[in-house]
This record gives sequence, C-alpha cells and structure tokens, in this order.
Amino acid sequence: MDKLGQEWVSAAVDGEIDEHTLAELAADADSHEQWRDYHMIGDAMRGELPKAMSLDLSASIMAAIEDEPAIVAPQPIVTEEPKVAETKVASTGKIIPLFKQFGQYAIAASVALVAVVGVQNYNQETLVDNSPLPVLNTRPLIGSASPVSLQTGAVQQNQSYTNDQVVEQRRRINAYIQDHMLQQRLNNGVNIDDNTEVDTIPVAQ
Amino acid sequence: MRLILLAILAMSFPAMAREDIPAKAWLDNMSQALREQEFKISLIQLQADHIRPLVYIHGKVNDEEVAFLEHLNGPPKNAVRVGNTVTFIEHDQPAYSVHANRIQGVIPAAFADDVSKLEDGYQFVLGGRSRIAGRPGQLIRIIPTDNNRYGYQIWVDMDTFLPLRFDMISGDKQLLEQLLVVELLVLDEVPAILKEAYKQEWPAVMSQSDRDSGEDWQFSWLPAGFKVLVKDQHRLIGSKEAVEYIAISDGLASISVYVAKAGESSLPEELVTRNGLSLATERVGNAEVVAVGKVPAETLSRIAKSIMLQ
Repeated sequence: MDKLGQEWVSAAVDGEIDEHTLAELAADADSHEQWRDYHMIGDAMRGELPKAMSLDLSASIMAAIEDEPAIVAPQPIVTEEPKVAETKVASTGKIIPLFKQFGQYAIAASVALVAVVGVQNYNQETLVDNSPLPVLNTRPLIGSASPVSLQTGAVQQNQSYTNDQVVEQRRRINAYIQDHMLQQRLNNGVNIDDNTEVDTIPVAQ
Repeated sequence: MRLILLAILAMSFPAMAREDIPAKAWLDNMSQALREQEFKISLIQLQADHIRPLVYIHGKVNDEEVAFLEHLNGPPKNAVRVGNTVTFIEHDQPAYSVHANRIQGVIPAAFADDVSKLEDGYQFVLGGRSRIAGRPGQLIRIIPTDNNRYGYQIWVDMDTFLPLRFDMISGDKQLLEQLLVVELLVLDEVPAILKEAYKQEWPAVMSQSDRDSGEDWQFSWLPAGFKVLVKDQHRLIGSKEAVEYIAISDGLASISVYVAKAGESSLPEELVTRNGLSLATERVGNAEVVAVGKVPAETLSRIAKSIMLQ
C-alpha cells in the first residue's frame, strides 16, 4: 500500500471515511497493521493505553506459530542430551559391576591376608609332636591348637605345670585329634551299609 | 493390554528357568554332578595355617565311580577310589584301603549323597552370584538351625553344577576353612589315570571286624540332626591308650567322643584350633570324656557332659 493508502487508514481510524472505503480497507490485509498502529498512537496520545500491554500481539503470535517448527527443530538437540545421559548410565552400568568385583576381590584378599597373618603368628607356636610315629599318620591334616585357648583353662596356669606335663598334655591332645582324623576315614564307609537307622549300626560284629 | 501381559509373561519364563531353581535343587544337582560327571578340578584347601594345592579327578569306568586325589605340594600323598573302596597312598606308610563311598578330606561326602539328610540341622538359602575359576557360580548358604554347629557356603557352577568354592564359617562369620577351585575341566572321556586305577590291584580293605564292640553309651542330649554312627573300643593310634569310642555326625560335622581312664596330666577343658577343630574334656571320677570335632567347643562340652552308660 502506498502513501495514499496510509492516509486512508489514518482517516478511517479517525472515523472520517465512508462505509465503502472502510469495507475496502477491511479487505486489504496489508493495511491492518497500520490500522492498529494508528489506533495505538491515538490511544497513547489520549492516555488510554492499558498498564500492561502486549505490543504487537498478532506479530508475536505469528512469530510463535512460525517459530513452532523452530521449537521442534531443536528437539534433536534436546534428545541428544538424554542420549548423553544414557551413555553415561550405560558406562556407569559397566563400572558398577566392575567395582562390585573389586569389592569381592578385596574381601577375598583380606581373607587370604588373615590366613597368612595367622600362619605367621602361629607357626612359632605349633604343637610339639612328641608322639611315636603313628601307624597312620593323619597329623598333617590338622591345624595346630591355638595356644590362646589352651590358656583359657585357667586351672592349668594356677597349678603351674612342669614342662614335661605340658609336653605330655600336648601329646595326648595330639593323640585324640589324630585318632579323630583317622576315624573320619574309617567311619566314612558306615554310611554305605545302612544310613537310615544309624543307631543300629554296630560296625564291629 | 492382555496380549502385552501375555507377551511379557512368555518372554520372562525362559529367562527365569535357571533363576527359579530353589537352593535345595541346586544341591541336588550338585550331588548328581559329583557322582555322574567326568571332570578334573584343581583346587586349593585353605586352613588357618595350611594352604594345600590339590587335584581331584572323577569319572566312571564300567559304571563304577573312580576318583583320584593328589596333594601337589610336599611328600606324595594320594588317594584312589574305585567303587566303594578308598585306598590311601602316602609316603611314610604302606598303602591301605578302607570301605568308603567318597574320598574323605576334600569335598564333604554329604554333598554327593542325598542332601535332604542335612535338613535336620541346616537350612539351604539361595545367595548371590560370583565368578570363580572363570565360571559363573551360584552361592548356596547352608545355615545351621542352631548354634551347635558351623555354617557353610558353597558356590555351584551354573553350567555343570559342580562345586567351585566351599567355605566353613563360624558363628561370628569367621572363615575357618575354604576349598577354592582354580580350574574346572569337564572331560569328554575317562582320563587314562582313572582307567589305570580301575585295573590296578589295591590292598584289601582293612577289616573292621577286629573292632571290639563298645559299651552301650547313650547321650541324654545331642544337637538336632546328630546321630550315632559307630561305637567301639580301640587304642588311640598315637599313644596306644585304650578308649571307648563313639562317632556322631549330622552329615557335615563329625564328632568323636572318647571315654578313657583319666591320664596323669589333665587335658584342657576346651581347646579350639584355628581351622575350627575343637576339643572338650569332661572329667567324671577317674574317667575322662573327650569330644573332638569341627563344631563349637561349647557343643562338645555339652555332649561330653550328656554321655551316660545305659
């Protein structure tokens, strides 16, 4: 629309236009913006503007509509973020079992360490094996008795055993433990013959 | 919606097949695997002051179970089993055979037997999984029903159901003993060594008839699941001391109870070794009751106190 058209619009805003021209103006979409602008200028001059005013509403709506594909368009970028997060989750998913495994190894290692410490501590205090060479030597199967427990029998301490008595005591403990280990081998077969009513199995008959 | 649910159900069933096996069934499968499969396992036995490497080979020759156990370190110490005869071949004594259904001293015989026999004293609980000897293992806890015995944990190979690790654990969760498989080979055919062992002439089984029948000892109290296996009179192998002997067991834990004339030096009331083996003594007049076994010393004490002559 040219300058002349703009004057028309201005005249229409001021109500100085006839019906026909107004209809013509209404049909002309290009001048709608000017129509609105003139009205706003007039409102501003008369001090009738609302306190909060959205300037260029139709334009912002149009922009919003036009931007809509633009809002959709960044979505690949938006979805890329979850992807990054997913890969992060996936990688941590790999890390967690790894750490779990390390945990297990650490536990296993600490168990081994305890065992080794035990060896170091108790090697010096193994029982004196004074027993005559047994027919069936089951001795290597057993661990040495813990001296700590030996001392729990406080009575022994009070009676102040001689060295010979301690040796004798250890020899007897060994004899019992050896015999127990041997019996495990011998008794194993008992289960084969009859394992339902164990009370009725006198082996020696 | 219903279709989706059905689809989810259908998809989840095959995946749950192995997950759903209850603990008891794992042990049943292991028992069967130990009896029927042909395999070679290299393992270490870990006790408080001992670490022993072992090899165990098992197979079937002419439908009879044949097994071979070898200690890899130290003086040669082997055991061979053909059927129900186990021969111990050790460096410092002539080989001797005993009547037994498993080689004693490695994997508890009860695990190759009917595991439901253990249910009086233990509960089976499914645990987690871990990788042992490069294989996926399923943990089964064997939890004692009371404080009178130790607990156990066993890891079973998820493919073959053979044991991969076996722990004995005290009441305060201390590891007492461990068997750890480092290599498990499932064999396609019977290894030559087992065929050889099957052909070999082994010493005759030591006669048990020279065992004198013992007195009729009874117990006023035994922990649930414990049963008397053997009663006899013999002399201790080390000291030649004459003893009355009673063997009791709950399947996993074995206890020996001795009644003897009290010695000149008294034995400690309670003694615990670091691998879980305990000894308890109860003096009655001039007699002495000694109980030995891999159970807490308190249990042994109580058993020693509860013995009586019928």
